[in-house]
Amino acid sequence: MASPAALRWPERMLGAAVILAALGAVEAAVRLHLVNPALIPAPSTVAGRVLQIVTSGELYAPLGITLYLLFTAYFAASAMAVAAGLLMGRFRPLYNLLEPLTEVLRPLPKAALLPPLILFLGLGDAMKLAVVGLGVFFPVLVNTVQGVRGVDPVLVDTGRTFRCGRRALLLGIVLPAALPLALAGMRVALGLGLILVVIAEMLAGTGGLGYLIIDMQRSFRVRDMYAWIVILAVLGYALNAVFLMVEQRLIHWALARPD
Amino acid sequence: MAAYLELENIGKSFGAGSAAETRALADVTLDVAEGEFLAVVGPSGCGKSTLLQIVAALIAPSSGEVRLAGARVTSPPERMVYLFQQYSKSLFPWRTVLDNVAFALEHRKGMTRRAARGRSRRFLEMVGLGDFAERYPWQLSGGMQQRVAIARALAAEPRVLLMDEPFSSVDALTRLELHGLLLDLWEESRFTAVLVTHDVDEAVFLADRVAVLSPRPSRVLRILPTGLPRPRENLATREDPRFLQLRHDLLSMLLERAHG
Repeated sequence: MASPAALRWPERMLGAAVILAALGAVEAAVRLHLVNPALIPAPSTVAGRVLQIVTSGELYAPLGITLYLLFTAYFAASAMAVAAGLLMGRFRPLYNLLEPLTEVLRPLPKAALLPPLILFLGLGDAMKLAVVGLGVFFPVLVNTVQGVRGVDPVLVDTGRTFRCGRRALLLGIVLPAALPLALAGMRVALGLGLILVVIAEMLAGTGGLGYLIIDMQRSFRVRDMYAWIVILAVLGYALNAVFLMVEQRLIHWALARPD
Repeated sequence: MAAYLELENIGKSFGAGSAAETRALADVTLDVAEGEFLAVVGPSGCGKSTLLQIVAALIAPSSGEVRLAGARVTSPPERMVYLFQQYSKSLFPWRTVLDNVAFALEHRKGMTRRAARGRSRRFLEMVGLGDFAERYPWQLSGGMQQRVAIARALAAEPRVLLMDEPFSSVDALTRLELHGLLLDLWEESRFTAVLVTHDVDEAVFLADRVAVLSPRPSRVLRILPTGLPRPRENLATREDPRFLQLRHDLLSMLLERAHG
């Protein structure tokens, strides 16, 4: 019997072929002067510029700034959201108290908070960390609460019959049982966080990837602009891939379970 | 023999005060001697599980009290373990089989994780799962999962083992096998056992006495001593005329009650 991975290979190859074909079409259009090269440079020249950015080391400072902002806000907000979600999910009065507030704040696109945050926090890192953190917090919170409330009461009673304490019950039973859903929230939040950090940098950046993209556009360096966009796309892809690997390690039991 | 575990006038209502109030238990009084094996049978939905959860202090009774060795039970007592019907929901899917058993010991004072695992291995071997220590519960069959749950319960070295229809969702042959295993383990360590079941055969085969509950709101209708010789044998005991008589009496009592 063929394994699922073996079956998926031809499809993945086809998927890659579609990307190459699209790039080839753009390349041809540029070379045949069907599009204005000032607006869309040939993919081959953009690729050359990407390679140059990577090999010259030009990449690392802006990448470092963006990742610093993203990771600091992401991990802090995720940790706070999981902790808050555990408490809200376990303690009914707290849930009743905070759920309406959550429901009002959650659907608000967090980018809309950039102007007021700039008023309060200025144009520096604090403002960017705040907007990314807010964007990350809610999806993780909502998923964690849902995960905690979905924990089977039999698991909790099992903990009680073996007399494990409240702490062990929360961290040793409720947290792992809710982890698959919490992590699903964290995956969505990672994508959102990247979007928000780029927007914040475009608005008030001094050196991250988002700043460079807008800065290149303003200086009519279109090829550079596309090169940084490509780098951002690769970054988004890589972050997701790493996340999936970590998730596989943490909750392999939930992913492998037949039910 | 003096009563070790006492249930005195236990009553339980759900949704008290509302229109949908249901009285699960009317007034249940039962005494269990130390080392005794008591079975509680009753029609479906008569509140057997509720009664057992009250004994384990997993839920509070609306009236009455539970005493263990003379002391009132208000929170899950030490060395009293509840074996759940839904073994697949009661095992931790993120822990290996061995670590699931070790859970029973980890919360003891002065117990390290390492020591807990070391002691757990012996209990896993007792239920014949020594080779499956590093597997995950969901990789095992239903009968094997229930063995893991039994090993975990025994690892806590219970003085009282409360069993809530623990064999109701395994196949018939596995059930007989687990009956034998449970009795062997009970003979060995002589904990006090309370088994709730709707399976009359199982009750008679395993227990010293069988208590019959009425439909809800439940009370104790009768208590029958089985008086069958031990060790019980899967074939000989089940063919014993006394076994058949008890089975007949209990079934007719339950059927009569169930249909008015």
